[in-house]
Amino acid sequence: MTKTPTDRHSDDVAFIEALAGILARNDLTELAVRRTWGEDDSLDVRVARHTTVAPAAPVVQAVAAAPATAAASAGPVAAPAVEDPAQHPGAVTSPMVGTAYLAPEPGATPFVSVGATVAEGQTLLIIEAMKTMNQIPSPRAGVVRRILIEDGTPVEYGAPLMIVE
Amino acid sequence: MAIRRLFVANRGEIAVRIIRAAQARGIATVLGVSAADRETLGAEMADRTVVLGPAAAAKSYLDERLIVHAAKATGCDALHPGYGFLSEKPALAALCEEEGIAFVGPRPDTIARLGDKMSARALAQAAGVPCVPGTDHIASLAEARAAAERLGYPVVMKASAGGGGRGMFRADTPADLAAGFDRASREAEGAFGDPRLYMERFVTAARHVEVQILGDGQGGVVHFGARDCSVQRRYQKLIEEAPAAAMPAPLRAAMQEAAVRLCAHAHYRAAGTVEFLYDVARGAFYFIEVNSRIQVEHPVSEAITGADLIGLQLAVAGGEGLGLAQEDVRFDGHAIEVRINAEDPRADFAPAPGRITRWEPPAGPGLRLDTHARAGYLVPPFYDSMIGKLIAHGPTRASAIDRLVAAIDAFVIEGVRTTLPLARFILTHPDFRADRITTRWLEETGLPAFAAAA
Repeated sequence: MTKTPTDRHSDDVAFIEALAGILARNDLTELAVRRTWGEDDSLDVRVARHTTVAPAAPVVQAVAAAPATAAASAGPVAAPAVEDPAQHPGAVTSPMVGTAYLAPEPGATPFVSVGATVAEGQTLLIIEAMKTMNQIPSPRAGVVRRILIEDGTPVEYGAPLMIVE
Repeated sequence: MAIRRLFVANRGEIAVRIIRAAQARGIATVLGVSAADRETLGAEMADRTVVLGPAAAAKSYLDERLIVHAAKATGCDALHPGYGFLSEKPALAALCEEEGIAFVGPRPDTIARLGDKMSARALAQAAGVPCVPGTDHIASLAEARAAAERLGYPVVMKASAGGGGRGMFRADTPADLAAGFDRASREAEGAFGDPRLYMERFVTAARHVEVQILGDGQGGVVHFGARDCSVQRRYQKLIEEAPAAAMPAPLRAAMQEAAVRLCAHAHYRAAGTVEFLYDVARGAFYFIEVNSRIQVEHPVSEAITGADLIGLQLAVAGGEGLGLAQEDVRFDGHAIEVRINAEDPRADFAPAPGRITRWEPPAGPGLRLDTHARAGYLVPPFYDSMIGKLIAHGPTRASAIDRLVAAIDAFVIEGVRTTLPLARFILTHPDFRADRITTRWLEETGLPAFAAAA
């Protein structure tokens, strides 16, 4: 019964292609599916056609990969894209539920901004839970590519906060 | 003020049970989960789920700051702690109180007072509830002999300063006392730096019995009868039943009355259980402790009374009061519960986590299954191994046993090993049928017989 990784991969590609077909046939702009086979064994797919309006929720905003392929008017060409920033190799995720703060106190300069170079262990932001301030260190040295949350955003465990690479 | 939105700070079958009870009362629910429990039945049923932290309980289910933060952030006005985890930690109850969230349980000071053995014992004595008869410090063999005459043999001597069995010995006769006294004093001195000993009456044949109560916090307390949970292994209950039929009815009534007296004295709020040791030979009961939470085995009390104990907890926490008097609690028939643990009873109860590939529960009159398990569910290795509770209710104890055995036979579970085969063995054992077991029966008689029958 167990499938090999190769089987699973080609199954996944076929599945995503099928979703793209559904998207095109039904003139949809977006289609998201989560399939769970088990713990740590799931597939998250969001298939979307490029539109000019960015989704309101900051965490869902796509990394605009290869925008050349499909203009909005170019017909029903679907661009498969795995969107979850939590899966990004540079993602820094929240270690707990809490409220995210980008600066040490209200009105102060944020710990980091997009484009900043950070050292491993440098504080990126704070997650507060019941007045306990938890400083979130950068897991690696690198550059802050994206900040995925706004100051004061409630976050859950595992929520992507920033992308540092 | 009735509860509008309830935060459920637990997992597994009790989370499902609490969500159902809340839904039945029109209360919205938010479930706090660890990353390992994201895709569970409870998470599907709750109106909203918040991921508190990673799988490790210390960073999720055992962190009261995360839990209360999540409860506040989601606009909850009450919090149910379930059992285990933080349910009996005053810190969670206190934090809820500070933040204006109704804690579905006793006040923090009540939890702290009952959680300490000495203060709980003092409370029981103040309420006129009997404790295991014993002495203060005993300085000499002569004093020990006099005390033993008064208490009646057998007795047990224990070190005042410590536990773990050191300095402890049992004496059935004055000669045993003489033989053990000096050595025990020296052992206590060596282990704890304090040679002092005290004495308690030794209960040869004991049953674990307990009374389910519900208090309004103002001194109003009703009881929902007594349960017998004598089938235990290493103090873990495997089978529970109600009523405690092995106890003579007048004695049981006196025990229930004592439990109510104790909780009324403490102005106890919410559901609780007063545990007693029943000394079969002497026909006496002694207070052990109060569990200041709902218990795993509450369904057997619900079965014989028709009460919804979790619903009543929510009513009390919402300030609606008990809504019933003692005479409104009616008793009907007998109920037995078996815990279904994902453990291998033939391999020293080794935990058996894994994926449940088939799950076909029985159905029929008088049956109840409380569970979060289903086909495809992965029993995680991080938490308690209990995956469900099967409860049978019948007009008599014998009929409840028969229904439960038939239900176990019809239950198809594949993918994980469970304790159900052992439960079936116990239920059909002549000692259990005749209701003549004690708290030591399973380890001394039941398990060896089960191993031999394999």
